[in-house]
Amino acid sequence: MSRESILKAVKANKPETLSLPDIDLSVFDEDINLIERFKENIEFVGGRLLELDGLATLDEEIKTLYPEAKKIVSCMKESALGTVPVSKETDPHTLEDIDLTIIKGNFAVAENGAVWVSEDDMVVRALPFITNDLILVVPKNAVNLHMHQIFDAISERERTFGTFISGPSKTADIEQCLVVGAHGAISLTVVLF
Amino acid sequence: MAHAEAAAKFNENEAKVNWHDKALWFVRQKRDKQAHKIQGWEQLRDYASALKANVLSNLDNYLVQFEENAKKNGVTVHWAANAEEHNKIIHSILQKHNAKKIVKSKSMLTEECHLNPFLEANDIEVIDTDLGERIVQLAKEPPSHIVLPAIHKTKEEVDELFQEHLGTKPSGGNPEYLTREARKHLRNKFLQADAAITGVNFAVADTGGFVVCTNEGNADMGAHLAKVHIACMGMEKLIPQEKHLGIFLRLLARSATGQPITTYSSYFNKPEEGKEMHIIIVDNGRTEQLSREDFRRSLHCIRCGACMNTCPIYRRSGGHSYDATIPGPIGSILSPGKDLTKHSSLPFASTLCGSCSDVCPVKINIHEQLYKWRQIIVKDVPQPTVKKNIMKAAGSILAKPKTYDFVGKSTRFMLKHTPKSLINSKINTWGHARDLPEVKGDNFEEWYKKRQKNE
Repeated sequence: MSRESILKAVKANKPETLSLPDIDLSVFDEDINLIERFKENIEFVGGRLLELDGLATLDEEIKTLYPEAKKIVSCMKESALGTVPVSKETDPHTLEDIDLTIIKGNFAVAENGAVWVSEDDMVVRALPFITNDLILVVPKNAVNLHMHQIFDAISERERTFGTFISGPSKTADIEQCLVVGAHGAISLTVVLF
Repeated sequence: MAHAEAAAKFNENEAKVNWHDKALWFVRQKRDKQAHKIQGWEQLRDYASALKANVLSNLDNYLVQFEENAKKNGVTVHWAANAEEHNKIIHSILQKHNAKKIVKSKSMLTEECHLNPFLEANDIEVIDTDLGERIVQLAKEPPSHIVLPAIHKTKEEVDELFQEHLGTKPSGGNPEYLTREARKHLRNKFLQADAAITGVNFAVADTGGFVVCTNEGNADMGAHLAKVHIACMGMEKLIPQEKHLGIFLRLLARSATGQPITTYSSYFNKPEEGKEMHIIIVDNGRTEQLSREDFRRSLHCIRCGACMNTCPIYRRSGGHSYDATIPGPIGSILSPGKDLTKHSSLPFASTLCGSCSDVCPVKINIHEQLYKWRQIIVKDVPQPTVKKNIMKAAGSILAKPKTYDFVGKSTRFMLKHTPKSLINSKINTWGHARDLPEVKGDNFEEWYKKRQKNE
């Protein structure tokens, strides 16, 4: 292994130490309606926002949005629509024909329409990607202005795996024509309650 | 082939060049919109640049810290001095698992190391899963852009490729249909893969984790389905702390494609139970670039491609004309450091307008470095005789005001009275596609003097 020789070369070739910058986050402040901005961005990235007053009508709303969905995974107790149970032991290959997945998102980001989903909430890492359609359910008071706030908010978690999801899977690799649904979820609905 | 010759070839198809030019400029405009939409964009660039400068100045310690933390997380860390060692490490991991089918998400580093041909020669199937990369893989071509690998292909060309390799029906290049077919084709590959290879967008020293960004979800589909995940990173991908991801993730996609963030920004810290995660830290010329004071800032690069989208030369010459893993302005300051003779024409593939430096999210002084490479190249690499003599002649004329004045006058006289067919003859490359401007009677100095007198 070249570990030692690489480190030696770096040490010899690096410039004099430059200190870490003092980062003043107040320069990124914006006085805006967070929900409005989040909505604007989630639509910009091809997702859909559904605002609810509580979770009592969640299942009803989902059934209206996805009437065809048969194989459904629900990763939250507030939704009883799940027809396929999953656990940490589930082989992700068995999830390839899942129609719809419902997952709790802990935080949302107004500036880019992203939702942070932790491994605990998605249960199986492949799930939010392999499912045909995805629903992320986020409390309204968990919408933050920007990414700096999110990394602050998630700093105390157990670090295994987590992902920011902003909109459905997409590509523009054929003549720059945007096509939604490349490899991951073909549609994304974020429910704010 | 020198860049200018390859660019001339790309320019044979005028309609395609025009489309290429406009498509990339459109991406640049989307970038501007996103940049102006948030507070403190320039501050973000300043912080990102300062953070990367700090990383380079303390890189050995950050690398050790990263390795220590990654190991604590149950990740195996490997070190590769060069492309050959990188490829061998991957091969040995795959052999250990008897892995024969590999899916790979976008990684310019594995392009740089020519991993695919190496694995294929060892009877291992490696499938690029980013749609653009899959397209160029089927066409047996390298990517022509680091973010938009197939930007040089028309939809009709993709249609034909898919008919031949995926058995699709002729669709006249329907992007929706072709993408759906690619989804089916690649989903099978994901489900059958023995191992997944991904790149690394950012590696975090204080957590030992790393972030991979995609729009398609292909990195995640590969990594979460296969038993083994190998992540390949250039050593400059490190950032000091997790909270600094906030800065870089805000800059990356906005600069790259004008999206506020990529669809997926996945943060890997620990392997799943029963699975393996490997990280390969690669040097391959980076420590050498680190030693060059004038050029080390090129290692700030986060591979967004903004400099390509804005570059008037890149947009009109196409990525393949650079004949380098990383094309465009950033590639033109990275590549000469690897092979000065082979890439000696690249720093000249620029108008030095500085637009690349203006859009760079980590504030690399790209156009200044291009200029500096030129100073080195004209000394070290033999230049064409015509160019050399013209430069010499120009140098001596410009040094003497009287000669300059005389040559100016006689040139103006000649241009006025010589027939166009002679002026635009073969040796005047400018005249191949355009006329010279109309010649006025005076030079600037004379005009200015007359103007002063009139007042």
